[in-house]
Order: sequence, then C-alpha cells, then structure tokens
Amino acid sequence: MHTTTKGSSVVHNTFSIERTYPSPPSLLFAAFSNQETKRRWFAEGEGWEVDQFRLDFRVGGREVSRFRKKGGAPMGNDTIYLDIVPERRIVFAYTMTVGDKRISVSLATVELARVGEGTRLLYTEQGAFFDGADGTKRRESGSRELLERLGEELRKQEQEF
Amino acid sequence: MVSIRHQRMRKQLSDDLTIGRDRRILKCMLNQTTIDQVFDALGDPTRRRLVERLSQGPASVSDLAKPLGITLAAVVQHLQVLERSGVVHTHKVGRVRSCRIEPTGLDLAADWIAERRSLWQRRLDRLGDILAEEEQPTRRATKKCGKS
Repeated sequence: MHTTTKGSSVVHNTFSIERTYPSPPSLLFAAFSNQETKRRWFAEGEGWEVDQFRLDFRVGGREVSRFRKKGGAPMGNDTIYLDIVPERRIVFAYTMTVGDKRISVSLATVELARVGEGTRLLYTEQGAFFDGADGTKRRESGSRELLERLGEELRKQEQEF
Repeated sequence: MVSIRHQRMRKQLSDDLTIGRDRRILKCMLNQTTIDQVFDALGDPTRRRLVERLSQGPASVSDLAKPLGITLAAVVQHLQVLERSGVVHTHKVGRVRSCRIEPTGLDLAADWIAERRSLWQRRLDRLGDILAEEEQPTRRATKKCGKS
C-alpha cells in the first residue's frame, strides 16, 4: 500500500504523443504484445542496464521491468493491463519506482488506427507524480509556461514527420 | 545533423574554455545555474524574437533593433541576458557589436527537455526503428489482404 510521506503533494499531468508508422496495425500491436520486441524498444536503448523484463500480455496480466541507469539506483516499472482490443487499443496502468520509492502512477492508453497502409498511434498518459522524487517536477512546473510554448513548437515539428 | 552540431559545439567548448572532449562533464557543471538562466532568457517574447532573428545569421545590434521597433539600449539589455545564459554570443568589431547564436544554451535546453519529457517519445521512435527493420519480410504478406 502506498503512503506518501512529507507533505504528500501530487502533481497531475496529462500528455499525448501521436505517431504515424508505415507498418500495419497488426505489426504495431505485435510490438506491444511480444515480450522480445517490446523489451527492445521499451526498456533497452536508453543506456539502461536491464535486469529484468517480463511481459504477460492479457487483461489482468502484468509486466515487470527492473533496470538501472548507469551508476544509479535500481528503477522499476510495474504495469497491469486493463483493456486490450487487438490491433485497436491497449489500456494499462503503471508505476515507476526509484529505489524503494514510488515516483509516479499513470494510466496510459494506446490507440491504433489504420491510415492508408500505415498506422496512426496515439499514446495518452494521465499521471500522478509524487513529491520529492528527484526535484525535476518542481523545475518543470517552474518552467511550465515556457515548456508549453516549446511543446507547441515541438508538436509542430513532430507533425511534419 | 546532430553529430555535426555536437562536433561544432565540442570544438567551440574546447576553443573557448579549454575543456576537452567530455561535453557531459561541462554540461553537468553548468546545468544547475545555466538551465534556469536559459529558460528565463527564452521566457521573454522580445528575446525569443532576437533569437529567432539570429538563428538566420549574425547581426549587429542596430540590425536587431530596427524590425522590433525598440531602442538600442533595450536591445543591449536583452542581449546581456541572452549572453549570460549562453544563448547568444556578442563581440565588438571596431565600433559595431556583432551578435550570433551560441549553441551551448539552446543545446542545454533541448537536452533538458529531451531528457525530462520524452521518454515515451524516444520509446516510440525506437519502436518505429524496430518496425522498419522487421518490415521488409513481413510487410508483403499483410499488404494485399485489404480486410481490416
């Protein structure tokens, strides 16, 4: 059970990322449901050492990953799958932990739509970020206004892809 | 593109500060003070316009002042903020102060944003790379099915 010490403040954040891939929805879906493939894009490649990655892709199933940033504390990502519509939708909740401290809990929705021969992927995350995780949240809210403007710029750039 | 930018910056850093290759070290040292200064500097619309103008190429202070319709003194003040934050570099040639973009500041901001905000963006980029690798053999099989 989670208890938040010292002030127990929470910052909520919702964001969406849209991507269009030339591959059909079946391949996109497989990249989420196949443990080997998902490990590659989800956990590896960040320069992290991946200690564990286990995926049980079904409603009620869990995904567990344990990794470390170089020289950093062990981190965890624990997911439970809540809704799966093959090639259309995946909904899951996940927590992020650093050491034994839970830093965030999120609800994430992946929506897939066929666009021509490709697929448009919409990732939406609604998250609760707990206080004292690493101080970045405070900075983020301090710079929020600017980041939002820059975000608009990035989104514009993104849409060009 | 990124590597060219990094090469250029690396050279710049070693030229200016005689700190060799490890850009990361310097970045960490600068991070605490400079990232706030960069965001403060860019948080002002006039200063952003100056940066936008300079990203097209170097300009003198009076070149910068004209289209903005503000005084030279005001431009100089804004430039001081931009220069302190590492976003702009100025130097005097004779009586004219010439200004140009300094990549360090914008790189700090870009890296900070990329590191803090875009875990899922990076993940989804990698997903795209993996799909592209896998695509050649599998794509043909599904391509002509037409049913959804």
